[in-house]
Amino acid sequence: MNDPIQVLTLFLFNIVLVNIPLLYGTVGEIVVEKSGSLNLGVEGTMAIGAMFGYLAGCAANSLAAGLLVSFLTAGLCGLLFAVLTVSLQANQNVTGLTITTFGLGLYFFVGKGLGERWPAMTASDGLVKGYSALEIPGLSKLPVIGKALFSHNALVYLGIAIALLVWWYLNFTKTGLRLRAVGENPGAADSVGINTLLYKYVHLIAGSGIMGLGGFYMALYMSGSFEGSNCWINGYGWIAIALVIFANWNPVLAVLGTLVFGFFNTLQIYAGPLAGAFPGPLGWLSAIPPQLYKALPFMITAIVLIASSVRKREGSGQPAALGLNYFREER
Amino acid sequence: MKNRQPLFHVVKREGASPARQLLAYVAAVALALAVGAVLLAVQGVEPVTFYRQLITMGIPGSRYPWRAVENFIKLFVPLLIVSMALSLAFKMRFWNIGGEGQFIMGAFWAGFAAMKLGESLPRPAMVLVMALCGALGGGLYGVFVAALKVKWGTNETLLTLMLNYIALYFLQYFAETKTDWNFFLDPGSARPKFAKFPASAQMITIPIGPFNLNLSLLIAAALCVLLYIYLNYTKRGYEIAVVGDSPNTARYAGMKVGKIVIRTIFLSAALIGLAGAFQVSSAGILSASVTNDVGWTGIVVAWLAKLNTAGIVVASLLITVLQFGCQTASTTYPSIDANFANLLQGVILFIVLAADFFTRFQLVRTRKEAAK
Repeated sequence: MNDPIQVLTLFLFNIVLVNIPLLYGTVGEIVVEKSGSLNLGVEGTMAIGAMFGYLAGCAANSLAAGLLVSFLTAGLCGLLFAVLTVSLQANQNVTGLTITTFGLGLYFFVGKGLGERWPAMTASDGLVKGYSALEIPGLSKLPVIGKALFSHNALVYLGIAIALLVWWYLNFTKTGLRLRAVGENPGAADSVGINTLLYKYVHLIAGSGIMGLGGFYMALYMSGSFEGSNCWINGYGWIAIALVIFANWNPVLAVLGTLVFGFFNTLQIYAGPLAGAFPGPLGWLSAIPPQLYKALPFMITAIVLIASSVRKREGSGQPAALGLNYFREER
Repeated sequence: MKNRQPLFHVVKREGASPARQLLAYVAAVALALAVGAVLLAVQGVEPVTFYRQLITMGIPGSRYPWRAVENFIKLFVPLLIVSMALSLAFKMRFWNIGGEGQFIMGAFWAGFAAMKLGESLPRPAMVLVMALCGALGGGLYGVFVAALKVKWGTNETLLTLMLNYIALYFLQYFAETKTDWNFFLDPGSARPKFAKFPASAQMITIPIGPFNLNLSLLIAAALCVLLYIYLNYTKRGYEIAVVGDSPNTARYAGMKVGKIVIRTIFLSAALIGLAGAFQVSSAGILSASVTNDVGWTGIVVAWLAKLNTAGIVVASLLITVLQFGCQTASTTYPSIDANFANLLQGVILFIVLAADFFTRFQLVRTRKEAAK
């Protein structure tokens, strides 16, 4: 275990493995925010996707069923958000927070209630197999990098594929560009004949669905073991909201951001082994309190938020109408 | 091209009747309880028994009924103060969702004072010092964001959200780091554990027979009255309403909007910090989970009450009954835990948010001639 190369390899491997749910949450929230909605319900949405996706995956003994159900149930949260804030003009902050409260409440209610009947992941070989690592031929044989980047489970690659797809969609397709117009200025978009209502609904549902996939990933990562005290999502939904800002609303930067936040997140656990494996250059790592690593993503994001507001730079990806409800009669 | 017109269009409603609003609330609570009942029945829990236990909160038939009331008050006071404080900020459309962080800072600095000065000051002075430290700690943590918002237009929703977690891990650091200088911890314990405050740092209680009335309840009640007067009968309260309605109107009327925002947010965050101070001084000890999610729940309460001071008293009472009741009722059922309150709270708020639309707007049938 104390072999330096092995420690480094495991450290890099875990940066990817443990933090991909962040990427799902972030990319989902980017889709949502690009339509002009600030949905603070990521944590709750992911919890619901995780719980129901996992249960469905176990019941059907299939990874695909789990993915589908987590996408759909989380999408329902998005639909609820859309009905309340888009059609019924409710406040977005309050609605989002309520989705989180409700989602976590439902998560614990279902999990606790199943009690003895809680399905173990090991009993469902479909899920175990689906979550097992896929070695990418050739690349996975590379030293250090091979294990760290190219021998992960299918959901890791899926998350990155979704991020790239969303990036392409937002920048190079007609609907994607129209979506961004809706987020920037719904009144103007409406006046050129874009169905803003439909755009907001579709993207709230799809974005929330993507968050739900991240929840399902988290369930598998925790091997489906339900604890009464800690939710699987464990604050990832909130970090995802921070990561959207850090990534400047860009899905490709979100991949990089996931690795940066993931680096600190994982360092919290690997500080000891790394300091042990490289006592000279990295010995100081173990002296840093783990709470600092936990707080760092939020600190960095706070600084990014402040700095970008000070500089008011042109290239900010923040949609101009973010968080504002669009009331057509007041256009 | 055919000119399609929707069947209905939405129009703002002028002055919704209070009876209509009240009806919406009663319906929301009833519906939420009905949804809850169905879910409970699915879990094999008898809903009527559960709800009876929830509403009575285990007080009748208990050996120490007054103890339960005292605990209820300890939960109620922080929520009441935080909700009131948040309503101040929300009235100005300043989305302070940093209640958690400001509460933690209040609790932390009150705890700091208790551990540093607890031995040397008499009890009334100590409780006062803790309250001041808490208010200052929370207030400064909030006003920092307000200043950035005024100066550069920094997004306050996202920034206060980040600050919540920074405060949380800051407190966790002191909770989990066992070193010589960390005077917050119990020196007698090998594992890191917060030390109890000295006796003089414990909240003053007024004994009435077997019942110890927590002084913070009286202070919270007084704060409610003061805040009501402040918002409705003073110039400063009026300024808050104007800025919330339209900052441009306020500017045009010669108000210094930046100053008003900074002043109000300081007051709001300081009240939240004060609630944190009361919380730790009533508990007599710090805790890493000191907030008990009150910063989030306060948002729910403020919104349920439509930022109305009297409404906040009622709503925070209702939510505390829900939470405290669920906590007590769930002890008899292994399959239910205190989180059930969150579920009910969520359903209530969803329905109220939806019902709000129909008190603010009305659907009007689009007339034929308008369609031409």
